[in-house]
Amino acid sequence: MTNPQIERKLIEIMRVITEGDKPIGARNIADELNERGYGIGERAVRYHLRILDERGLTKKHGYAGRTVTELGKKELKEALIGDRLGFVITRIEDLIYKTDYNLESKSGNVIVNLSNIDKNDFDDVVEIMRYASKGGAIISPRVRIFEEDEDSDIYVPKGKIAIATVCSITFDGLLLKSGIPVKPAYGGILELKDHEPTRFTDLISYNGTSIDPIKIFMSRHSTSVLDVLETGTGKMLANMRQIPASAVEKANEVLELAKLSGINGAIKIGNEGEALFGAPVDAGRSGIPVLVGVNAIAAVEETGIEVNTYPVSTVMEYSTMSEI
Amino acid sequence: MHKNNSNIQFTSSKIEDLMFKTTFDPNTGKGDVIVNVSFIDEKSRDEVFNIFKMVLTSGLSVTPYVKILNQGDLIGETVIEKGKIGIATVCSITIDGVLLKAGIPIKPKLGGIVQIRDGKPVRFTDVLTYASTTIDPLEVLMSQKLTSITHVIRTSNGNILANLREGPMAARDDIEHILSDLVDVGFSGILEVSEPNTSILDVPVERDHLGIVVIGGTNPMAAVQESGISIHTNAMSTLIDISELIHIDEVA
Repeated sequence: MTNPQIERKLIEIMRVITEGDKPIGARNIADELNERGYGIGERAVRYHLRILDERGLTKKHGYAGRTVTELGKKELKEALIGDRLGFVITRIEDLIYKTDYNLESKSGNVIVNLSNIDKNDFDDVVEIMRYASKGGAIISPRVRIFEEDEDSDIYVPKGKIAIATVCSITFDGLLLKSGIPVKPAYGGILELKDHEPTRFTDLISYNGTSIDPIKIFMSRHSTSVLDVLETGTGKMLANMRQIPASAVEKANEVLELAKLSGINGAIKIGNEGEALFGAPVDAGRSGIPVLVGVNAIAAVEETGIEVNTYPVSTVMEYSTMSEI
Repeated sequence: MHKNNSNIQFTSSKIEDLMFKTTFDPNTGKGDVIVNVSFIDEKSRDEVFNIFKMVLTSGLSVTPYVKILNQGDLIGETVIEKGKIGIATVCSITIDGVLLKAGIPIKPKLGGIVQIRDGKPVRFTDVLTYASTTIDPLEVLMSQKLTSITHVIRTSNGNILANLREGPMAARDDIEHILSDLVDVGFSGILEVSEPNTSILDVPVERDHLGIVVIGGTNPMAAVQESGISIHTNAMSTLIDISELIHIDEVA
Protein backbone atom coordinates (compact mmCIF):
# COMPACT_ATOMS: atom_id res chain seq x y z
CA MET A 1 0.00 0.00 0.00
CA THR A 2 0.98 3.65 -0.06
CA ASN A 3 2.21 6.00 2.64
CA PRO A 4 0.83 4.92 6.04
CA GLN A 5 -0.03 8.50 6.99
CA ILE A 6 -2.20 8.89 3.91
CA GLU A 7 -3.82 5.50 4.60
CA ARG A 8 -4.66 6.63 8.11
CA LYS A 9 -6.33 9.81 6.85
CA LEU A 10 -8.26 7.86 4.23
CA ILE A 11 -9.60 5.56 6.92
CA GLU A 12 -10.49 8.46 9.23
CA ILE A 13 -12.37 10.17 6.40
CA MET A 14 -14.34 6.98 5.72
CA ARG A 15 -15.10 6.65 9.42
CA VAL A 16 -16.50 10.19 9.49
CA ILE A 17 -18.65 9.51 6.43
CA THR A 18 -20.09 6.24 7.79
CA GLU A 19 -21.02 7.84 11.10
CA GLY A 20 -23.69 10.02 9.48
CA ASP A 21 -26.82 8.55 7.92
CA LYS A 22 -26.73 10.73 4.80
CA PRO A 23 -24.08 11.94 2.34
CA ILE A 24 -21.58 14.40 3.78
CA GLY A 25 -19.47 17.05 2.01
CA ALA A 26 -15.75 17.79 2.17
CA ARG A 27 -16.21 20.86 4.32
CA ASN A 28 -18.12 19.05 7.06
CA ILE A 29 -15.65 16.17 6.92
CA ALA A 30 -12.78 18.62 7.45
CA ASP A 31 -14.56 20.19 10.44
CA GLU A 32 -15.18 16.79 12.01
CA LEU A 33 -11.56 15.71 11.45
CA ASN A 34 -10.32 18.86 13.14
CA GLU A 35 -12.53 18.03 16.13
CA ARG A 36 -10.70 14.72 16.33
CA GLY A 37 -7.28 16.26 16.32
CA TYR A 38 -6.43 15.79 12.64
CA GLY A 39 -5.27 19.12 11.34
CA ILE A 40 -6.45 18.79 7.75
CA GLY A 41 -8.07 21.41 5.53
CA GLU A 42 -11.00 21.16 3.13
CA ARG A 43 -8.66 21.14 0.13
CA ALA A 44 -6.67 18.21 1.48
CA VAL A 45 -9.90 16.38 2.26
CA ARG A 46 -10.98 16.80 -1.37
CA TYR A 47 -7.64 15.37 -2.48
CA HIS A 48 -8.09 12.33 -0.25
CA LEU A 49 -11.71 11.90 -1.33
CA ARG A 50 -10.57 11.66 -4.94
CA ILE A 51 -8.23 8.80 -3.97
CA LEU A 52 -11.11 7.09 -2.17
CA ASP A 53 -13.38 7.53 -5.21
CA GLU A 54 -10.72 6.11 -7.51
CA ARG A 55 -10.37 3.05 -5.29
CA GLY A 56 -14.13 2.59 -5.31
CA LEU A 57 -14.34 3.08 -1.55
CA THR A 58 -16.56 6.17 -1.61
CA LYS A 59 -19.22 7.44 -3.99
CA LYS A 60 -20.14 11.00 -4.89
CA HIS A 61 -23.78 12.10 -4.88
CA GLY A 62 -23.64 15.44 -6.68
CA TYR A 63 -23.41 18.38 -4.30
CA ALA A 64 -24.85 16.43 -1.36
CA GLY A 65 -21.50 14.84 -0.65
CA ARG A 66 -20.21 11.31 -0.38
CA THR A 67 -21.19 7.98 1.04
CA VAL A 68 -19.04 4.90 1.67
CA THR A 69 -19.54 2.00 -0.74
CA GLU A 70 -19.88 -1.68 0.28
CA LEU A 71 -16.21 -2.11 -0.66
CA GLY A 72 -15.36 0.84 1.57
CA LYS A 73 -17.26 -0.68 4.49
CA LYS A 74 -15.33 -3.91 4.04
CA GLU A 75 -12.07 -1.96 3.95
CA LEU A 76 -13.00 -0.18 7.19
CA LYS A 77 -13.55 -3.56 8.84
CA GLU A 78 -10.21 -4.96 7.76
CA ALA A 79 -7.78 -2.07 7.71
CA LEU A 80 -5.37 -0.79 10.35
CA ILE A 81 -5.32 -3.77 12.67
CA GLY A 82 -2.76 -1.93 14.83
CA ASP A 83 -5.54 0.47 15.84
CA ARG A 84 -8.21 -2.14 16.14
CA LEU A 85 -6.21 -4.27 18.54
CA GLY A 86 -7.65 -1.97 21.17
CA PHE A 87 -10.95 -1.84 19.32
CA VAL A 88 -13.03 -4.15 21.49
CA ILE A 89 -12.05 -2.36 24.68
CA THR A 90 -12.40 1.09 23.10
CA ARG A 91 -15.91 0.35 21.90
CA ILE A 92 -16.84 -1.06 25.30
CA GLU A 93 -15.52 2.07 27.02
CA ASP A 94 -17.63 4.14 24.69
CA LEU A 95 -20.78 2.28 25.74
CA ILE A 96 -19.81 2.35 29.43
CA TYR A 97 -19.61 6.12 29.12
CA LYS A 98 -23.05 6.24 27.48
CA THR A 99 -24.67 4.18 30.25
CA ASP A 100 -26.70 6.66 32.28
CA TYR A 101 -29.21 4.48 34.07
CA ASN A 102 -30.06 6.08 37.39
CA LEU A 103 -30.53 3.50 40.14
CA GLU A 104 -32.63 5.92 42.24
CA SER A 105 -35.00 7.26 39.60
CA LYS A 106 -34.88 3.96 37.67
CA SER A 107 -34.57 5.59 34.27
CA GLY A 108 -31.86 5.93 31.65
CA ASN A 109 -29.78 3.75 29.34
CA VAL A 110 -28.39 0.30 29.94
CA ILE A 111 -26.08 -1.66 27.60
CA VAL A 112 -27.68 -4.48 25.61
CA ASN A 113 -26.65 -7.48 23.54
CA LEU A 114 -28.58 -8.06 20.33
CA SER A 115 -29.42 -11.54 19.08
CA ASN A 116 -31.03 -12.30 15.73
CA ILE A 117 -33.22 -15.37 15.47
CA ASP A 118 -35.43 -16.83 12.80
CA LYS A 119 -39.08 -15.70 13.03
CA ASN A 120 -40.25 -19.32 13.10
CA ASP A 121 -38.15 -20.08 16.18
CA PHE A 122 -39.57 -17.18 18.16
CA ASP A 123 -41.98 -19.10 20.42
CA ASP A 124 -39.38 -21.73 21.30
CA VAL A 125 -36.75 -19.08 21.97
CA VAL A 126 -39.03 -17.14 24.33
CA GLU A 127 -39.86 -20.31 26.21
CA ILE A 128 -36.18 -21.26 26.71
CA MET A 129 -35.28 -17.71 27.69
CA ARG A 130 -38.08 -17.66 30.29
CA TYR A 131 -36.74 -20.90 31.70
CA ALA A 132 -33.17 -19.52 31.71
CA SER A 133 -34.36 -16.30 33.28
CA LYS A 134 -36.08 -18.16 36.14
CA GLY A 135 -32.85 -20.07 36.73
CA GLY A 136 -30.89 -16.81 36.93
CA ALA A 137 -28.97 -17.23 33.67
CA ILE A 138 -29.68 -13.64 32.66
CA ILE A 139 -28.68 -10.18 33.92
CA SER A 140 -32.21 -8.82 33.92
CA PRO A 141 -35.53 -10.47 33.01
CA ARG A 142 -36.26 -7.46 30.83
CA VAL A 143 -35.87 -7.82 27.06
CA ARG A 144 -37.00 -5.96 23.99
CA ILE A 145 -38.16 -7.50 20.75
CA PHE A 146 -37.61 -5.89 17.34
CA GLU A 147 -39.37 -7.01 14.21
CA GLU A 148 -38.26 -6.60 10.66
CA ASP A 149 -40.43 -3.67 9.55
CA GLU A 150 -40.32 -1.72 12.77
CA ASP A 151 -39.14 1.84 12.56
CA SER A 152 -36.18 1.87 14.93
CA ASP A 153 -32.41 2.23 15.04
CA ILE A 154 -32.00 -1.52 15.26
CA TYR A 155 -31.46 -3.22 11.92
CA VAL A 156 -33.31 -6.51 11.64
CA PRO A 157 -32.48 -8.76 8.66
CA LYS A 158 -35.35 -10.14 6.59
CA GLY A 159 -37.21 -13.05 8.16
CA LYS A 160 -35.55 -12.44 11.53
CA ILE A 161 -36.46 -11.10 14.93
CA ALA A 162 -33.93 -9.28 17.09
CA ILE A 163 -33.93 -9.70 20.86
CA ALA A 164 -32.16 -7.23 23.12
CA THR A 165 -30.96 -8.55 26.49
CA VAL A 166 -29.25 -6.54 29.21
CA CYS A 167 -25.47 -6.87 28.90
CA SER A 168 -23.22 -7.47 31.90
CA ILE A 169 -21.08 -4.49 30.89
CA THR A 170 -24.00 -2.41 32.22
CA PHE A 171 -22.44 -3.06 35.64
CA ASP A 172 -19.27 -1.34 34.47
CA GLY A 173 -21.38 1.64 33.37
CA LEU A 174 -23.18 1.78 36.72
CA LEU A 175 -19.89 1.56 38.62
CA LEU A 176 -18.27 4.27 36.49
CA LYS A 177 -21.22 6.61 36.97
CA SER A 178 -20.84 6.11 40.73
CA GLY A 179 -17.33 7.47 40.40
CA ILE A 180 -15.51 4.13 40.46
CA PRO A 181 -12.74 3.70 37.86
CA VAL A 182 -13.61 0.31 36.46
CA LYS A 183 -11.57 -1.82 34.02
CA PRO A 184 -13.26 -4.68 32.13
CA ALA A 185 -10.61 -7.43 32.27
CA TYR A 186 -11.63 -10.81 30.86
CA GLY A 187 -14.44 -12.75 29.29
CA GLY A 188 -14.39 -16.47 29.97
CA ILE A 189 -16.00 -19.80 30.66
CA LEU A 190 -16.87 -20.33 34.31
CA GLU A 191 -17.41 -23.83 35.60
CA LEU A 192 -20.11 -24.37 38.24
CA LYS A 193 -20.55 -27.31 40.61
CA ASP A 194 -23.74 -27.66 42.66
CA HIS A 195 -24.71 -24.07 41.78
CA GLU A 196 -21.36 -22.75 43.05
CA PRO A 197 -18.77 -21.27 40.64
CA THR A 198 -15.52 -23.23 40.93
CA ARG A 199 -13.06 -21.97 38.31
CA PHE A 200 -12.60 -20.35 34.93
CA THR A 201 -11.62 -22.98 32.37
CA ASP A 202 -10.70 -20.39 29.72
CA LEU A 203 -10.19 -16.64 29.62
CA ILE A 204 -9.66 -14.02 26.92
CA SER A 205 -8.67 -10.49 27.87
CA TYR A 206 -10.72 -7.59 26.48
CA ASN A 207 -7.41 -5.89 25.85
CA GLY A 208 -5.62 -8.13 23.38
CA THR A 209 -8.25 -9.09 20.84
CA SER A 210 -9.98 -7.61 17.81
CA ILE A 211 -13.01 -9.91 18.33
CA ASP A 212 -15.27 -9.74 21.40
CA PRO A 213 -14.27 -12.54 23.85
CA ILE A 214 -17.87 -13.52 24.63
CA LYS A 215 -18.66 -13.76 20.91
CA ILE A 216 -15.64 -16.07 20.55
CA PHE A 217 -16.79 -18.37 23.35
CA MET A 218 -20.34 -18.45 21.99
CA SER A 219 -19.27 -19.52 18.53
CA ARG A 220 -17.05 -22.22 20.02
CA HIS A 221 -20.16 -23.71 21.66
CA SER A 222 -18.28 -24.10 24.90
CA THR A 223 -21.18 -23.62 27.34
CA SER A 224 -23.57 -26.03 29.02
CA VAL A 225 -26.04 -23.54 30.47
CA LEU A 226 -28.93 -26.01 30.24
CA ASP A 227 -26.99 -28.46 32.42
CA VAL A 228 -26.41 -25.74 34.98
CA LEU A 229 -30.12 -24.92 35.00
CA GLU A 230 -31.07 -28.56 35.43
CA THR A 231 -28.39 -29.90 37.76
CA GLY A 232 -26.41 -26.91 39.03
CA THR A 233 -23.27 -28.24 37.34
CA GLY A 234 -21.88 -27.10 34.00
CA LYS A 235 -20.26 -24.19 32.18
CA MET A 236 -21.52 -20.64 31.79
CA LEU A 237 -20.21 -17.45 30.21
CA ALA A 238 -18.84 -14.92 32.66
CA ASN A 239 -16.67 -11.85 32.61
CA MET A 240 -14.60 -10.01 35.11
CA ARG A 241 -13.78 -6.39 35.82
CA GLN A 242 -11.36 -4.84 38.29
CA ILE A 243 -11.93 -1.88 40.61
CA PRO A 244 -9.60 -0.21 43.13
CA ALA A 245 -9.77 -2.12 46.42
CA SER A 246 -10.68 1.13 48.19
CA ALA A 247 -13.91 1.30 46.17
CA VAL A 248 -15.24 -2.09 47.28
CA GLU A 249 -17.75 -0.69 49.78
CA LYS A 250 -19.18 1.76 47.27
CA ALA A 251 -19.34 -0.97 44.63
CA ASN A 252 -21.28 -3.17 47.04
CA GLU A 253 -23.87 -0.42 47.46
CA VAL A 254 -24.19 -0.07 43.68
CA LEU A 255 -24.66 -3.83 43.20
CA GLU A 256 -27.32 -3.94 45.96
CA LEU A 257 -29.18 -0.99 44.46
CA ALA A 258 -29.03 -2.56 41.00
CA LYS A 259 -30.86 -5.62 42.32
CA LEU A 260 -33.85 -3.37 43.13
CA SER A 261 -34.00 -2.60 39.39
CA GLY A 262 -33.90 -6.29 38.60
CA ILE A 263 -30.25 -6.13 37.45
CA ASN A 264 -28.42 -9.18 38.83
CA GLY A 265 -25.56 -11.50 38.01
CA ALA A 266 -22.56 -10.27 39.99
CA ILE A 267 -21.16 -13.30 41.82
CA LYS A 268 -19.10 -11.50 44.43
CA ILE A 269 -16.51 -8.82 44.97
CA GLY A 270 -13.07 -10.24 45.65
CA ASN A 271 -10.55 -9.14 48.23
CA GLU A 272 -7.62 -6.92 47.34
CA GLY A 273 -5.38 -8.66 44.83
CA GLU A 274 -7.27 -11.95 45.26
CA ALA A 275 -7.38 -14.17 42.17
CA LEU A 276 -10.97 -15.25 41.57
CA PHE A 277 -11.72 -18.72 40.22
CA GLY A 278 -8.22 -18.81 38.72
CA ALA A 279 -8.44 -15.38 37.06
CA PRO A 280 -5.58 -13.12 38.14
CA VAL A 281 -6.30 -9.71 39.74
CA ASP A 282 -3.79 -6.82 39.96
CA ALA A 283 -2.32 -5.84 43.33
CA GLY A 284 -4.41 -3.12 44.95
CA ARG A 285 -7.49 -4.01 42.94
CA SER A 286 -10.52 -6.24 43.46
CA GLY A 287 -12.20 -8.41 40.88
CA ILE A 288 -15.95 -8.60 40.22
CA PRO A 289 -16.98 -11.65 38.19
CA VAL A 290 -20.44 -11.48 36.58
CA LEU A 291 -22.46 -14.18 34.84
CA VAL A 292 -23.24 -12.50 31.53
CA GLY A 293 -26.63 -11.74 29.99
CA VAL A 294 -26.18 -13.86 26.88
CA ASN A 295 -26.15 -17.08 28.92
CA ALA A 296 -29.89 -17.22 28.22
CA ILE A 297 -29.09 -17.01 24.51
CA ALA A 298 -26.34 -19.63 24.86
CA ALA A 299 -29.01 -21.89 26.36
CA VAL A 300 -31.14 -21.32 23.26
CA GLU A 301 -28.19 -22.24 21.02
CA GLU A 302 -27.57 -25.41 23.02
CA THR A 303 -31.00 -26.69 21.95
CA GLY A 304 -29.85 -26.45 18.34
CA ILE A 305 -31.68 -23.25 17.40
CA GLU A 306 -29.51 -20.95 15.32
CA VAL A 307 -28.82 -17.53 16.82
CA ASN A 308 -26.54 -14.74 15.71
CA THR A 309 -25.44 -12.65 18.68
CA TYR A 310 -23.70 -9.29 18.92
CA PRO A 311 -22.54 -8.86 22.51
CA VAL A 312 -22.14 -5.34 23.94
CA SER A 313 -24.09 -3.95 21.03
CA THR A 314 -25.59 -0.59 21.96
CA VAL A 315 -27.32 1.36 24.74
CA MET A 316 -31.07 1.29 25.26
CA GLU A 317 -33.55 3.00 27.61
CA TYR A 318 -34.23 0.39 30.31
CA SER A 319 -37.88 1.43 30.67
CA THR A 320 -38.57 0.49 27.03
CA MET A 321 -37.67 -3.14 27.85
CA SER A 322 -40.22 -5.47 29.42
CA GLU A 323 -40.16 -8.72 31.36
CA ILE A 324 -39.97 -11.82 29.27
CA MET B 1 -4.71 -29.37 33.34
CA HIS B 2 -4.45 -26.73 36.02
CA LYS B 3 -4.93 -27.36 39.71
CA ASN B 4 -7.98 -25.92 41.36
CA ASN B 5 -6.34 -23.19 43.39
CA SER B 6 -3.69 -22.07 40.94
CA ASN B 7 -4.17 -19.29 38.44
CA ILE B 8 -5.20 -20.15 34.93
CA GLN B 9 -2.37 -20.46 32.37
CA PHE B 10 -2.36 -18.04 29.46
CA THR B 11 -1.10 -19.14 26.05
CA SER B 12 2.04 -16.99 26.35
CA SER B 13 3.30 -19.01 29.31
CA LYS B 14 2.37 -22.31 27.69
CA ILE B 15 4.38 -21.25 24.64
CA GLU B 16 7.47 -20.44 26.71
CA ASP B 17 7.26 -23.87 28.24
CA LEU B 18 7.22 -25.52 24.80
CA MET B 19 9.97 -23.27 23.44
CA PHE B 20 12.17 -24.28 26.35
CA LYS B 21 11.59 -27.97 25.56
CA THR B 22 12.39 -27.59 21.83
CA THR B 23 15.68 -29.34 20.95
CA PHE B 24 15.52 -29.32 17.14
CA ASP B 25 18.77 -28.13 15.57
CA PRO B 26 18.51 -26.98 11.93
CA ASN B 27 22.21 -27.76 11.35
CA THR B 28 21.94 -31.45 12.19
CA GLY B 29 18.26 -31.75 11.28
CA LYS B 30 17.73 -33.66 14.52
CA GLY B 31 15.79 -33.08 17.72
CA ASP B 32 12.28 -32.48 19.04
CA VAL B 33 9.78 -30.17 17.38
CA ILE B 34 6.45 -28.80 18.65
CA VAL B 35 3.40 -30.26 16.92
CA ASN B 36 -0.29 -29.54 16.52
CA VAL B 37 -2.38 -32.69 16.70
CA SER B 38 -5.76 -33.18 15.02
CA PHE B 39 -8.24 -35.99 15.30
CA ILE B 40 -10.57 -37.10 12.52
CA ASP B 41 -12.97 -39.97 11.92
CA GLU B 42 -11.37 -42.91 10.14
CA LYS B 43 -14.07 -42.80 7.47
CA SER B 44 -13.11 -39.29 6.35
CA ARG B 45 -9.47 -40.37 6.02
CA ASP B 46 -9.13 -40.15 2.22
CA GLU B 47 -10.81 -36.79 1.93
CA VAL B 48 -8.80 -35.29 4.79
CA PHE B 49 -5.49 -36.66 3.47
CA ASN B 50 -6.22 -35.12 0.08
CA ILE B 51 -6.85 -31.73 1.63
CA PHE B 52 -3.67 -32.01 3.72
CA LYS B 53 -1.70 -32.90 0.59
CA MET B 54 -3.13 -29.95 -1.27
CA VAL B 55 -2.45 -27.46 1.53
CA LEU B 56 1.00 -28.76 2.47
CA THR B 57 2.29 -28.97 -1.09
CA SER B 58 1.15 -25.40 -1.76
CA GLY B 59 3.28 -24.28 1.17
CA LEU B 60 0.50 -23.09 3.47
CA SER B 61 2.01 -24.72 6.52
CA VAL B 62 5.22 -24.57 8.53
CA THR B 63 6.75 -27.68 6.93
CA PRO B 64 5.44 -30.37 4.56
CA TYR B 65 6.01 -33.05 7.23
CA VAL B 66 3.34 -34.96 9.13
CA LYS B 67 2.91 -37.93 11.40
CA ILE B 68 -0.13 -40.15 11.01
CA LEU B 69 -1.35 -41.85 14.16
CA ASN B 70 -3.63 -44.85 14.19
CA GLN B 71 -5.87 -46.35 16.82
CA GLY B 72 -3.93 -47.15 19.99
CA ASP B 73 -0.94 -44.92 19.14
CA LEU B 74 0.23 -42.58 21.86
CA ILE B 75 1.06 -38.92 21.32
CA GLY B 76 1.94 -36.77 24.32
CA GLU B 77 -0.56 -38.03 26.86
CA THR B 78 -3.28 -38.89 24.36
CA VAL B 79 -4.08 -42.34 23.01
CA ILE B 80 -5.85 -42.43 19.64
CA GLU B 81 -9.39 -43.73 20.16
CA LYS B 82 -11.07 -46.47 18.18
CA GLY B 83 -12.35 -45.27 14.81
CA LYS B 84 -10.15 -42.16 14.91
CA ILE B 85 -6.98 -41.07 13.18
CA GLY B 86 -4.53 -38.51 14.50
CA ILE B 87 -2.47 -36.17 12.34
CA ALA B 88 0.46 -34.21 13.72
CA THR B 89 1.90 -31.18 11.88
CA VAL B 90 4.80 -28.98 12.90
CA CYS B 91 3.74 -25.96 14.93
CA SER B 92 5.24 -22.58 14.03
CA ILE B 93 6.32 -22.03 17.63
CA THR B 94 9.10 -24.55 16.86
CA ILE B 95 10.81 -21.65 15.06
CA ASP B 96 10.66 -19.59 18.27
CA GLY B 97 12.13 -22.54 20.15
CA VAL B 98 15.02 -22.80 17.69
CA LEU B 99 15.71 -19.05 17.90
CA LEU B 100 15.59 -19.19 21.69
CA LYS B 101 18.08 -22.06 21.79
CA ALA B 102 20.43 -19.92 19.67
CA GLY B 103 20.37 -17.37 22.48
CA ILE B 104 17.96 -14.92 20.88
CA PRO B 105 15.31 -13.44 23.21
CA ILE B 106 12.37 -14.02 20.89
CA LYS B 107 8.86 -12.95 21.87
CA PRO B 108 5.87 -14.67 20.27
CA LYS B 109 3.27 -11.92 20.16
CA LEU B 110 0.03 -12.80 18.46
CA GLY B 111 -1.86 -15.04 16.09
CA GLY B 112 -4.15 -13.70 13.44
CA ILE B 113 -5.78 -13.79 10.05
CA VAL B 114 -3.57 -12.61 7.19
CA GLN B 115 -5.17 -11.42 4.00
CA ILE B 116 -3.50 -12.72 0.82
CA ARG B 117 -3.90 -10.82 -2.43
CA ASP B 118 -2.36 -12.09 -5.67
CA GLY B 119 -0.27 -14.54 -3.69
CA LYS B 120 1.23 -11.87 -1.45
CA PRO B 121 0.48 -11.17 2.22
CA VAL B 122 -1.25 -7.80 2.56
CA ARG B 123 -2.14 -7.33 6.23
CA PHE B 124 -3.51 -8.83 9.42
CA THR B 125 -7.28 -8.34 9.56
CA ASP B 126 -7.99 -9.91 12.97
CA VAL B 127 -5.62 -10.77 15.80
CA LEU B 128 -5.41 -12.11 19.35
CA THR B 129 -2.32 -11.67 21.48
CA TYR B 130 -0.91 -14.75 23.23
CA ALA B 131 -0.82 -12.91 26.56
CA SER B 132 -4.55 -12.24 26.44
CA THR B 133 -5.95 -15.71 25.90
CA THR B 134 -5.89 -19.18 27.40
CA ILE B 135 -6.94 -20.77 24.08
CA ASP B 136 -4.51 -20.71 21.16
CA PRO B 137 -5.38 -17.66 18.99
CA LEU B 138 -5.37 -19.74 15.82
CA GLU B 139 -7.79 -22.24 17.36
CA VAL B 140 -10.01 -19.29 18.28
CA LEU B 141 -9.85 -17.81 14.79
CA MET B 142 -10.53 -21.19 13.18
CA SER B 143 -13.81 -21.28 15.11
CA GLN B 144 -14.80 -17.84 13.79
CA LYS B 145 -14.97 -19.13 10.20
CA LEU B 146 -12.74 -16.32 8.95
CA THR B 147 -10.33 -18.40 6.87
CA SER B 148 -10.52 -19.24 3.16
CA ILE B 149 -7.50 -21.53 2.71
CA THR B 150 -8.91 -23.49 -0.23
CA HIS B 151 -9.74 -20.24 -1.97
CA VAL B 152 -6.16 -19.01 -1.49
CA ILE B 153 -4.81 -22.21 -3.03
CA ARG B 154 -7.11 -21.94 -6.04
CA THR B 155 -7.01 -18.18 -6.71
CA SER B 156 -4.08 -16.77 -4.65
CA ASN B 157 -6.59 -14.57 -2.83
CA GLY B 158 -8.16 -15.03 0.59
CA ASN B 159 -7.41 -15.37 4.30
CA ILE B 160 -4.95 -17.67 6.07
CA LEU B 161 -3.79 -18.21 9.64
CA ALA B 162 -0.41 -16.81 10.63
CA ASN B 163 1.41 -15.60 13.69
CA LEU B 164 3.85 -12.91 14.68
CA ARG B 165 6.89 -12.79 16.93
CA GLU B 166 9.37 -10.01 17.69
CA GLY B 167 13.11 -10.20 18.04
CA PRO B 168 15.65 -7.53 18.99
CA MET B 169 17.15 -5.52 16.13
CA ALA B 170 20.64 -6.27 17.53
CA ALA B 171 20.15 -9.97 16.76
CA ARG B 172 19.09 -9.35 13.17
CA ASP B 173 22.01 -11.15 11.50
CA ASP B 174 21.67 -14.21 13.73
CA ILE B 175 17.92 -14.29 13.15
CA GLU B 176 18.36 -14.14 9.39
CA HIS B 177 20.98 -16.92 9.42
CA ILE B 178 18.86 -19.22 11.51
CA LEU B 179 15.76 -18.57 9.43
CA SER B 180 17.66 -19.41 6.26
CA ASP B 181 19.02 -22.60 7.90
CA LEU B 182 15.42 -23.48 8.75
CA VAL B 183 14.29 -22.87 5.18
CA ASP B 184 17.05 -25.28 4.04
CA VAL B 185 15.64 -28.09 6.19
CA GLY B 186 12.09 -27.63 4.92
CA PHE B 187 10.64 -24.90 7.12
CA SER B 188 9.05 -23.15 4.17
CA GLY B 189 6.39 -21.28 6.15
CA ILE B 190 8.29 -18.07 6.90
CA LEU B 191 6.04 -15.46 5.35
CA GLU B 192 7.63 -12.11 6.08
CA VAL B 193 10.44 -10.51 8.08
CA SER B 194 10.15 -6.77 8.69
CA GLU B 195 12.72 -4.02 8.84
CA PRO B 196 13.38 -2.90 12.43
CA ASN B 197 10.97 -0.27 13.78
CA THR B 198 8.57 -0.84 10.90
CA SER B 199 5.04 -2.21 11.08
CA ILE B 200 4.69 -5.71 9.72
CA LEU B 201 1.48 -6.46 7.82
CA ASP B 202 -0.08 -3.41 9.54
CA VAL B 203 0.89 -4.51 13.07
CA PRO B 204 3.31 -2.16 14.84
CA VAL B 205 6.41 -3.72 16.45
CA GLU B 206 8.16 -2.62 19.62
CA ARG B 207 10.92 -0.07 19.38
CA ASP B 208 14.21 -1.52 18.08
CA HIS B 209 12.59 -4.84 17.30
CA LEU B 210 11.77 -6.57 14.06
CA GLY B 211 8.76 -8.70 13.32
CA ILE B 212 8.65 -12.21 11.84
CA VAL B 213 5.41 -13.61 10.44
CA VAL B 214 5.14 -17.38 10.03
CA ILE B 215 2.30 -19.33 8.40
CA GLY B 216 0.28 -21.18 11.04
CA GLY B 217 0.70 -24.94 11.32
CA THR B 218 -3.07 -25.29 11.63
CA ASN B 219 -3.93 -24.04 8.11
CA PRO B 220 -4.48 -27.59 6.78
CA MET B 221 -6.90 -28.20 9.66
CA ALA B 222 -8.72 -24.96 8.85
CA ALA B 223 -9.01 -26.09 5.22
CA VAL B 224 -10.54 -29.39 6.34
CA GLN B 225 -13.01 -27.49 8.49
CA GLU B 226 -13.91 -25.20 5.57
CA SER B 227 -14.93 -28.23 3.54
CA GLY B 228 -17.40 -29.22 6.26
CA ILE B 229 -15.54 -32.26 7.59
CA SER B 230 -15.42 -32.59 11.35
CA ILE B 231 -11.90 -32.21 12.76
CA HIS B 232 -10.78 -31.63 16.32
CA THR B 233 -7.50 -29.76 16.73
CA ASN B 234 -5.19 -29.32 19.71
CA ALA B 235 -2.74 -26.63 18.69
CA MET B 236 0.67 -26.68 20.38
CA SER B 237 0.01 -30.10 21.89
CA THR B 238 3.34 -31.69 22.57
CA LEU B 239 6.84 -32.30 21.24
CA ILE B 240 8.03 -35.21 19.11
CA ASP B 241 11.29 -36.21 17.45
CA ILE B 242 11.36 -34.81 13.91
CA SER B 243 12.59 -38.20 12.63
CA GLU B 244 9.11 -39.58 13.36
CA LEU B 245 7.62 -37.24 10.75
CA ILE B 246 7.37 -38.06 7.05
CA HIS B 247 6.86 -35.93 3.96
CA ILE B 248 3.17 -35.62 3.03
CA ASP B 249 3.96 -37.15 -0.41
CA GLU B 250 4.99 -40.37 1.31
CA VAL B 251 1.62 -40.74 3.03
CA ALA B 252 -0.26 -43.58 1.41
